[in-house]
Amino acid sequence: MNEQYTTAAPLLQINDLCKRYPNMGNYMSVFHMNLTIPRGRIIGLLGPNGCGKTTLIKMINGLLAPTSGAVYINGMFPGAESKRVISYLPERTYLENGMKVHQMIDYFADFYEDFAKEKAYSMLESLGISPEARLKTLSKGTKEKVQLILVMSRNAELYILDEPIAGVDPAARDYILRTIITNYNPNSTIILSTHLISDIENVLDDVIFMKNGSLMLYTSVDAIRSQQNKSVDAYFREVYAC
Amino acid sequence: MLGKLMKYEWRGLRFPLLIMLGILGIATLLTCLLIFTINPKFDNVASGLSVMSLILSIMLYYFGIIGCSVGTMLIIAIRFYKTTYTDQGYLTHTLPVETKTLLAAKTIMAVLCYLLMLLGIAATLLIIIGAIYTHIRNLSAYDGVFLDWQIGELFSELSEGFREEYGISFGAFVTFYTVFMIVACISAIMTVLGCVSLGQLYTKHRIIGAIIAYFAVMSVQQFISYLAMLPTYSRMIRAEALSETIPMFEIISPTMIISLLWAVAVSIIMHIVNLHMMTKRLNLE
Repeated sequence: MNEQYTTAAPLLQINDLCKRYPNMGNYMSVFHMNLTIPRGRIIGLLGPNGCGKTTLIKMINGLLAPTSGAVYINGMFPGAESKRVISYLPERTYLENGMKVHQMIDYFADFYEDFAKEKAYSMLESLGISPEARLKTLSKGTKEKVQLILVMSRNAELYILDEPIAGVDPAARDYILRTIITNYNPNSTIILSTHLISDIENVLDDVIFMKNGSLMLYTSVDAIRSQQNKSVDAYFREVYAC
Repeated sequence: MLGKLMKYEWRGLRFPLLIMLGILGIATLLTCLLIFTINPKFDNVASGLSVMSLILSIMLYYFGIIGCSVGTMLIIAIRFYKTTYTDQGYLTHTLPVETKTLLAAKTIMAVLCYLLMLLGIAATLLIIIGAIYTHIRNLSAYDGVFLDWQIGELFSELSEGFREEYGISFGAFVTFYTVFMIVACISAIMTVLGCVSLGQLYTKHRIIGAIIAYFAVMSVQQFISYLAMLPTYSRMIRAEALSETIPMFEIISPTMIISLLWAVAVSIIMHIVNLHMMTKRLNLE
């Protein structure tokens, strides 16, 4: 990947970030997290259920206010400007059921300057999804594919994909991973959160392991393979063994 | 961006609003049909049927306008809740727009939709008045020319005697009341949207939280309304005690002005609540 690309501010910087849920017995979902993410990487955000991955992602996207600490995207706090450069795929289906696929494409094109309509239509065609289909008539898996197409049709600086392959069949999973790689801009970074490590580890440059809301490990996939003599999947199982 | 947001808000609201206006139209049509079965003199053998028609038409229209008005408010509240605090909120809140712009678009379109419904109700009222007029004028027992003269007299008395009775011209009163209604409409919408946001504090049952918040806010509003009535009561009592003749508008104007200011204050408070909830307290499931 492009190691030489530098700007004054890192693409993503997280400083002493904490998130406490007062209505859940003051549960600390993210605990004093520090992280700096450069450009040009595909990073796996890994960890067991409830370790704070989604909370962290929500705070990066400005969907959740931190209890303390700060998130900077290109040196800016999450806001309208940061949302312009982040393309986020949540684990939920956020599409408006009453709309048709092509209307959703128009919606994205209206709001995101970096959205490439032709790329979206081309991907829809590859997956055999009709632009005229109304979203409520599509299966959950197809909706997830449409959502991924919308997110990957942007020429964003930071892609954050929360469980992008969890709800689809293995064949579609391969297509999605191919889509992520082929649409990937080398000056961008992709953060991929998933439990299906074996499926994605071949596309990853780095991995972040989270445990109990804290950063446990941030290293390259090559480092794990050379130092531990294990695949990321095998190392994950060892680290998080119950 | 505000224009684009408003465009998509309108697209989301227009169909259910159209259904509500359709229901209102049907209720008005049925009311008009019932009106045409009434004998206004109630002096023939079918007078029982006329009375029943009169009651039915009043009830049908009353429930029609209340239902459509509440229905429109519910449509607005549900859309706001769905697009702001449920799964769709993930898309809404990741759009590259400021939260205040997002809220402004939702509020403006919600107010416009509600005003459209109120305009619809006003239009149906005119239709019904027109139907009553046509029905009476077409009855052989009535002299159409005499009826027109009576109506003309009524309007003439209204414009001449109004200032004397109310202390304000009819036009000024209508203008004031229209402004008051628009502000009250904005305040009502802002209250509903604010309560939907306040309900998010009760994370386990967000909808119940919103309903509780609404009743709590409405209780406070009722109390303030009661306080706002005090100047009117005191002026009425004083006028009664001193046998003074005070124009009606002079008696009610303090209450109307306090209510107007309170509606403005509620709108501002609820706007701040919404902004706070959508920025500092946002917590999508």
